[in-house]
Amino acid sequence: MSGPRPQLQSVPTHQGRGWAQTSSASNDEWLITTAPDIGWATGPGAGTAFLPTPLRPSTGSRQALCLWLPTFELRLELVRSPGLDSTSVALLSPGESTRRTIWQVSERAHEAGVRPGQLVSQAVSLCTSLTLLEPDPAHYDAATDTMLEVLTELTPILEPAGRGRVFLGMDGLGRLFGSPPRQVDRALRALFRVFPAPLVAATRAGMAPGKFGAWVAAAAASAGEPVIIPEERLVPFLSRCPVNVLPVETLVVERLERLGIRTLGELSRFPEPSLVAQFGEDGRNALAWSTGRRIDPVRPWHRPRPIRASLEFSTPVGVVETLHGALDRLVERALSRPARRGRSVTGVRLGAHLEGGGSWFVETVLRDPTALRERIASPLRAKMAISPPPKAVETLLLELTHFGAPSAQTGLFDRKDESGRAAGGHELAQGEVPPSLRDAVKELKLRLGYSPLYRVVEVDPWSRIPERRHALLSFDP
Amino acid sequence: MSDSTRRPGSGRAGPHRPKLKPLGQPKAVTVRTDEHGDPVHVRLPGKTARRVEAVRERWRIDDEWWRETISREYWSVVLDDGRMLTLYHDLSDGAWYVQRE
Repeated sequence: MSGPRPQLQSVPTHQGRGWAQTSSASNDEWLITTAPDIGWATGPGAGTAFLPTPLRPSTGSRQALCLWLPTFELRLELVRSPGLDSTSVALLSPGESTRRTIWQVSERAHEAGVRPGQLVSQAVSLCTSLTLLEPDPAHYDAATDTMLEVLTELTPILEPAGRGRVFLGMDGLGRLFGSPPRQVDRALRALFRVFPAPLVAATRAGMAPGKFGAWVAAAAASAGEPVIIPEERLVPFLSRCPVNVLPVETLVVERLERLGIRTLGELSRFPEPSLVAQFGEDGRNALAWSTGRRIDPVRPWHRPRPIRASLEFSTPVGVVETLHGALDRLVERALSRPARRGRSVTGVRLGAHLEGGGSWFVETVLRDPTALRERIASPLRAKMAISPPPKAVETLLLELTHFGAPSAQTGLFDRKDESGRAAGGHELAQGEVPPSLRDAVKELKLRLGYSPLYRVVEVDPWSRIPERRHALLSFDP
Repeated sequence: MSDSTRRPGSGRAGPHRPKLKPLGQPKAVTVRTDEHGDPVHVRLPGKTARRVEAVRERWRIDDEWWRETISREYWSVVLDDGRMLTLYHDLSDGAWYVQRE
């Protein structure tokens, strides 16, 4: 274990937005990012680690351990393709179809002048041997989920803050695992079970009272050398840190620096009314963090288990109409799952595995909670039109991610609801399955173990190749 | 690494993932051709050979050169028992197939 490094130069920006890289001293700081944590499954905890939350002393853990894997996504790509390890590699920004920019770069690419945020054309002109990688958000999120899963075995109080960064509540674990260094060691060992050694070796660990202290400690740590700050050393440790570690607006940090306030120690000498007058709530929070008065406990994070449905195409599909049709089928499938019953949907994601590798996704928060296919599919179609999959789709995946109360409200003249049918209506909404057929399929499934019924769906009805036009899809309402 | 971090919901293949079963998949047939390469006899699997009475239409498809080239010559034929078949000659492997359109 080592003490804090007073020459902290590489600092986190606020609210999980990555890092403003300034240091080149450490041999580990060779993967650089500036882009936000754009996440397929970053979840509700992502990027909100330092958002003010009402203090509830009865919940959460005061002692926090921050585990942070800088440039997590690029490191995962390098683990997947070890041959690229010694080459100039850059990861492209996700979610852009035109004017692609660089998201994360390797040390060699950085040496050649490639920087995050640059246009691809600029980067390639600076480094002609640059290998560009398409982002694979589904893979990164799966890795994040795996990490969270294994860490849950250590402590139930776990709060993710974007991909590759997680806070663990460590209160009361001393009796179980021993001293703080042993606790950190235990957490890192847990990661060895799911990640290869190079990835775990790059993990920075910081332990301190509160999430802010732990995060700054992790930022000050180097690979393999966790920084552990006991309660009594928190204020002296923070006082040496630069002001850009503060999770406040960038403009606030820039103004502080222009005013000549470089460290948290210098900031803490100002009276609170002056800071509030200048910076409002940010000024108050900045002072509270700088002086160690504000300790944000790690709070248990809850993410409802998403409902997933996926469809694998026999040949990769690039026709938008086909993808729209598949989306409709997926929404129907996901809505019919027993786990969804009694809940409406408020958040949904659509992703795809692409031909030749890589993945793509769009996500949306629905304006109103709903359980209707069209209301879920329609905003996803709109998102697809804005940001279409860059390549042909091998597998389409749908996730219902957020749920609300049952949506019981129906239109005044809507006879497609169940009560309408019971009252004598005969029309079924598009995609609905008559109860008698549903029961018959259920019975067949009980007997055979699977549904032997299929539905003919249009795949690419205008294809010149006959076997691409229509397909059978298992009918399992 | 990639194996250990993939989860059932995110992997590319899984036993429970519904897969589309294409309709109209081609089936191999035995075809005897004349000196011009036109089909004269067709024998469907498990059936006796039938003479080609007439050729109704003939067209060619060349597609997907960027993936795995599809190059087919289609024949819509009438057999001597009155049945109509759509055959194609796969120009990449030289085999004949019958396909329901």
